[in-house]
Amino acid sequence: MSYLTLFAFLICTIIIGYFIGNRRAVGMRPAVKSKLPENKLHSLPGFHGTYVALWCGIPSLLLLFAWLFLEPSILSAMLGNALGDAGIGLSQDQLELLKGSIRRAAQNSQNPIDDTLLPVVESYKNIVNSTGIGGMVVIGCGAIIGLYFSQKKIAQRFAARHRVEKIFSIIMLLSSLVAVLTTFGVVVSLIFETIRFFGMVSFTEFLFGLHWSPQIALRDDQVASSGSFGAVPIFAGTLLITAIAMVIAVPIGLFSAIYMSEYASPRFRSWAKPLLEILAGIPTVVYGFFAALSVAPMLRNWGVDFGLEISSESALAAGVVMGVMIIPFVSSLSDDVINAVPQSLRDGSYALGATRGETIKLVLLPAALPGIVSSVLLATSRAIGETMIVVMAAGLAANLTANPFQAVTTVTVQILTLLVGDQEFDSPKTLAAFALGFVLFIITLCLNILALKIVNKYREKYD
Amino acid sequence: MNKSIKLLAVAALALPLMATTSFARDQIQIVGSSTVFPFSSLVAEKFGKSSSFNTPVVESTGTGGGMKLFCSGIGEGHPDISNASRRIKSSELEACLAAGINPIEIKVGYDGIVLANSVDAPAFELTKQQIFLALAAKVPGPDGKLIDNPNMTWSDIDASLPDVKIEVLGPPPTSGTRDAFVELAMEGGAKKFESLAALRKEDKKKFQAVAHSLREDGAFIEAGENDNLIVQKLKANPAALGIFGFSFLDQNEDSIKGAIINGAAPDFDNIADGSYGISRALYYYVKKEHMDIIPGLKEYNEEFLSSKAMGEDGYLLEKGLIPLTEAELAEVVTGLTEMKTVSLK
Amino acid sequence: MTNLRAAHIKKRYAAERRFKMYGLLAIMFALGFLAIMLVTITFRALPAFSQTYVKVDIEFSENVIDPDGAREKVQIAKADFQKIVRDGIYALFPEVTNRKEKRKLKKLISSEAGYHIARVLLADDQPDFEFIGTKQSVWVKSSDDIDSFIKGLIRRDVDESRRRVNDQQIGWVDQLMADGRIEKRFNWDFFKFGDSRSPEDAGIRGAVVGSFFTLIITLLLSFPLGVLAAVYLEEYSKPSKMTAFIEVNINNLAAVPSIVFGLLGLALFLNFFGMPRSAPLVGGMVLSLMTLPTIIITTRAALKSVPPSIREAALGIGASKMQTVLHHVLPLAMPGALTGAIIGMARALGETAPLLMIGMVAFIVDVPTGFTDPSTVLPVQIYIWADSPERAFEAKMSAAILVLLFFLVIMNAIAVLLRRRYERRW
Repeated sequence: MSYLTLFAFLICTIIIGYFIGNRRAVGMRPAVKSKLPENKLHSLPGFHGTYVALWCGIPSLLLLFAWLFLEPSILSAMLGNALGDAGIGLSQDQLELLKGSIRRAAQNSQNPIDDTLLPVVESYKNIVNSTGIGGMVVIGCGAIIGLYFSQKKIAQRFAARHRVEKIFSIIMLLSSLVAVLTTFGVVVSLIFETIRFFGMVSFTEFLFGLHWSPQIALRDDQVASSGSFGAVPIFAGTLLITAIAMVIAVPIGLFSAIYMSEYASPRFRSWAKPLLEILAGIPTVVYGFFAALSVAPMLRNWGVDFGLEISSESALAAGVVMGVMIIPFVSSLSDDVINAVPQSLRDGSYALGATRGETIKLVLLPAALPGIVSSVLLATSRAIGETMIVVMAAGLAANLTANPFQAVTTVTVQILTLLVGDQEFDSPKTLAAFALGFVLFIITLCLNILALKIVNKYREKYD
Repeated sequence: MNKSIKLLAVAALALPLMATTSFARDQIQIVGSSTVFPFSSLVAEKFGKSSSFNTPVVESTGTGGGMKLFCSGIGEGHPDISNASRRIKSSELEACLAAGINPIEIKVGYDGIVLANSVDAPAFELTKQQIFLALAAKVPGPDGKLIDNPNMTWSDIDASLPDVKIEVLGPPPTSGTRDAFVELAMEGGAKKFESLAALRKEDKKKFQAVAHSLREDGAFIEAGENDNLIVQKLKANPAALGIFGFSFLDQNEDSIKGAIINGAAPDFDNIADGSYGISRALYYYVKKEHMDIIPGLKEYNEEFLSSKAMGEDGYLLEKGLIPLTEAELAEVVTGLTEMKTVSLK
Repeated sequence: MTNLRAAHIKKRYAAERRFKMYGLLAIMFALGFLAIMLVTITFRALPAFSQTYVKVDIEFSENVIDPDGAREKVQIAKADFQKIVRDGIYALFPEVTNRKEKRKLKKLISSEAGYHIARVLLADDQPDFEFIGTKQSVWVKSSDDIDSFIKGLIRRDVDESRRRVNDQQIGWVDQLMADGRIEKRFNWDFFKFGDSRSPEDAGIRGAVVGSFFTLIITLLLSFPLGVLAAVYLEEYSKPSKMTAFIEVNINNLAAVPSIVFGLLGLALFLNFFGMPRSAPLVGGMVLSLMTLPTIIITTRAALKSVPPSIREAALGIGASKMQTVLHHVLPLAMPGALTGAIIGMARALGETAPLLMIGMVAFIVDVPTGFTDPSTVLPVQIYIWADSPERAFEAKMSAAILVLLFFLVIMNAIAVLLRRRYERRW
């Protein structure tokens, strides 16, 4: 809790810093009104205030986070010292366990602890208190020092605005780097296991093999029956189900968006749009059950009526339900961008005698195209990465087929099943999950690069 | 809006503070098999309610994932118990020992594996040979040579069986249920064929490869680990049979019925006395090193093996766990009191 | 000529009507699907909102509860309260003596009944022990099977061997009904309790609180970061290799299967930073990594559609880049950003797979009280109940879905209100 107080203190200092900077700048405003630049404040007082506030806040917050990160190890080391003789002769792990029980005892006196260790518990409590106070004092001072020095810099011609904008653009750059770091993290968390997997299974078999059947031994005394890791059927299955989903989602979503933004009354739109968005929020487990228990049997019965052989785990059932789930991705996002096309374009088109439909087809859609494309791409991505629906409805049969009535499996299903299986975690079976994830990552990366090229080529700015 | 964005930003900055760093865990942490999960979570709940300790947290991660977490180290950051639907593998044990962990093995009972279909469909009475003929990838042909499984309907196997397409929903190869089914039903059936029995004497590995391979032409459908979903699918599709744990049959008697295998119906008594031959042992492993350190760990183990849980009227049995024999239970209890750890052979 | 033109116009109008029709049909299809799902779920959920109670006369005999007469709360709490409840129900049917039948009789009442009685009686720090030695009528929960029977989910007319309630038990229930000892009440416990392995005791509270904590973290992290990143990419960065790289990265992250984010969370937050397992804090961080691409992409699309003239006008009268963006462009793009937030958060609310790796797919009874307490979330609770053998969990599952949707609607409503404030045409 003491950290929350410290945090509140920091926030207060930041606010005070803002006002100090602001007041100082106001005080420096020249008395004579003049058009000459050197007689004016370089930046508005607000920028000076923000400048001080940033200098007051950023270093001290950084310090605070660094402290939070380091504190456990510092405390642990100090606890090791406090243990003194009691810790001698123990292995590293035993020492950690001992420290754990001391921490528990310090947290809650009801937790059992050896009586001989009670003094250590007491001294540990003291250590926690004193290091906590020490850290807080350092951080608090950091904030005040920042405040002091930055407010001294304020002067009439001080370019506070430039600096503030610079800092903000750096913050924004850092935010966008989070995505890059995440990508990096994803790659790192997949690559080691993937490399190990390719040490056991040949790369070409995995990429070009047409047979997926990881039926290999689960226990020591067993022999593998057949273990083949050809991933082509899995990627083909992903593609098939995604394609079916997009066939459902793109037209329905796009027409919904057009209707909502161009035809519907504002009242209708204000209800329909959030209702459609609920579709995106229904847990995918629920869709999975619905697909497996309602849609799939229904399709199978229709198949029997029409003399078609439709499997109960057909790609169609999973794809259709997934398509419904991602309708809002297309409809809401496209609606936003169509809505944002300037009214002047519509007016111009109507003035030329075009009907609404013609205006939409010939003017609005081209103008909104980049946004629509990115919404479709987003929906496709969502379909590729979706897990629970396909786990429940599509099953695990790795058939290589383009027939939507047959059962196929997807990358995500395989990853999930392989990861939560009962087999040993270091067997090629589990490692295959990492390899699948990695290869999927590479494939979507290539597709995205391609998509970016295409989008950039056709991007236009209208006004 | 600007105001609310600023508020959000302030709140976001406050986040790391929530990660109280000098964190000390004071409840038991359990990971592992999804088959043992219903039983161990039941014990955890009863334990939490009847003792002064916190209720243990039970995760369902699959045996392999659980073992990986379990063997990754000693201390509060690592789980105390790993549930398993098979015994620990030597490679896993090596990892455990290398991390300084001495696991104590506790066998908790058995889980029957049943073959069931909708009550609206004809009843099945099967032998293991027939199961093998229905589900194996390769079966001995008329001349004793192995051929691709030609049986498309149950009546192809034996005229007394119903004339419906073979369609069996079962667990994926990563599942312990599948493993036990293959081992007990398929291998048991395969042994009965002369040509295969001969092969077994000659080359055991080759025999197992034949016996353990399930067909992949659509007659056997891998349906994931969700047993309830299999039950629901059976209701929706009376032509299909499903392979899953006994407790799901027990709870759904109104809509599905179990096939009689080798003359024994899949019910509690038959599984318990061994006359229904397809069941597998369930285990859990506990770290000896954590026994005195994590509050309540010892008591949790005692609760699991107590007569309240495992006795004749015990709550675990009511939920469908097939109990150990008395001798087995006594052995497990002594193993626990003596803290007998598993060691490499 | 005029005829031709009239025919042409007619054709164009027909095309126009068709076009409008398609739009309406599309919306109706999607809304129809939603309606079907909602109605089905609501019907399945109804049984979960009531619970059957049985009135039992319980004798709090000193022998069982406090054999040594010490009146110590800790000791009494450990007493076998279930036994006195059992004795209470046996006393209602004194004719049942056979051990096997007694076992059937015992199954009429919840196996948690004793625990709840003890909890109520011993709620105070210094309870008065006046109840010891008295005999009281207490309403206790029936077992899940009897509850399902009363609600008509287990039907009387099917063959006895295919019911979980046998004829004898039905006889007992009928007799209890005739005596007015059976009552159906609204199931408040469903909203008060955490998870339980007994369906009659299972509640949603733990999961709701867990979801709440998790989503707060997700929103706090992903919305500001996402909007800032989008503004940077769309308004600040000059087209360069670097920005193209970032852009491709973001689009690509949207297609990464959610379970992979779980793997990342396991490696980064748990193993590297040593954060606790099963904590909403970690769950929220993992989910925010997952929602970030959605928010960035939608915000960028919205920024893109703000007409350049707005920017030019602002810059023209001397606004700085930051002033232009923050005061003019971003407010106009806010509806789009909020849409992204709605969709992203909705997905985060319904996601199970990534949480598996960081320990949130777990059985947790205690309701979490903070961001680092072990907890689970609504979709996980739904998944766990869906995977439980006990039939009575089916209704609980549907009820949990309704609760989740309620959550979702509230969240959406807030965002929609905000969105409406910023929406405009120009």
